[in-house]
Amino acid sequence: MTVRTIEVRERVMARNDEIAARVRARLAAAGVPTFNLVSSPGSGKTLLLERTLAEIGDGLRIAIVTGDVQTQNDADRLARHTDQLVQAVVTNGACHLDARQIETALEAIDLAATDLLFIENVGNLVCPAAWDLGENAKIALFSVTEGEDKPSKYPAMFRAARWVVFTKTDLLPHVPFSIERAMKLARAVNPMLGFLMTSSVAPHGLSEWFSFCRAQARRRRFE
Amino acid sequence: MHEMSVALEVCRLAEARLGTDAESLVALGVTVGDDAGVEPENLAFCLEALLAEPPFRGAAPRILRTPGDALHLTYLEVVDHDRPDD
Repeated sequence: MTVRTIEVRERVMARNDEIAARVRARLAAAGVPTFNLVSSPGSGKTLLLERTLAEIGDGLRIAIVTGDVQTQNDADRLARHTDQLVQAVVTNGACHLDARQIETALEAIDLAATDLLFIENVGNLVCPAAWDLGENAKIALFSVTEGEDKPSKYPAMFRAARWVVFTKTDLLPHVPFSIERAMKLARAVNPMLGFLMTSSVAPHGLSEWFSFCRAQARRRRFE
Repeated sequence: MHEMSVALEVCRLAEARLGTDAESLVALGVTVGDDAGVEPENLAFCLEALLAEPPFRGAAPRILRTPGDALHLTYLEVVDHDRPDD
């Protein structure tokens, strides 16, 4: 029996990345800034988006795609705060969203009537880092109830992200978490990271985040 | 779960490359970077399970470790029915 070796060297993510490039081109043509929110489970992604829709959803037309392993609970929560479409993607066990799912979800979204699109990824600090969804940037949510060393433990995610949003900062007086140390560890992995401080329950706890959202939508409008 | 998604994609690439010759596959090599976010042993386990099913016939996965974030289907080994034994 003769065995022949065929050299391939084909990237495993090539197909996903082709679709992601199509998604990115489509969103760019429509002028819709798109952010992929990634984090561990329970960091406050859904609450942040709920508050965002409730507080600035009248002025900004915000569309959302949520990914969950099971249930569409997050989408149901978000839909109560907006007339814009909230698209739920149930991954049925998969630990991340992929570009094909986003391309399909976009079919139901009126991009001409959208100022900003958020993708709420499955809560997981490992797998979503590897999957390009066609977004402008990944935003990593980092709750102060987690360990400060998350960037060292999950470097791929913090390398892939452009911004880190610290959440639950109202709890800082009660937890042994140093923002400075967390930022230092994050910058050691990715010196280009930008940081935002948020609390979804404290008064004015989201003003920095809302300014960010408005600036992103405005920037794209004038590009 | 993530490794199973990656394994499915590796098998899709192999099948696309081999077509009806997929059943002649005896081994495939996948290069996995240390920062690729993929657990090599888990990936090998998932590949073993998938390669035991048609159109494959129990090909062996071989994981090649490398620095960086590479994730490639690197080579396929197939039985060459047209060539005489060496």
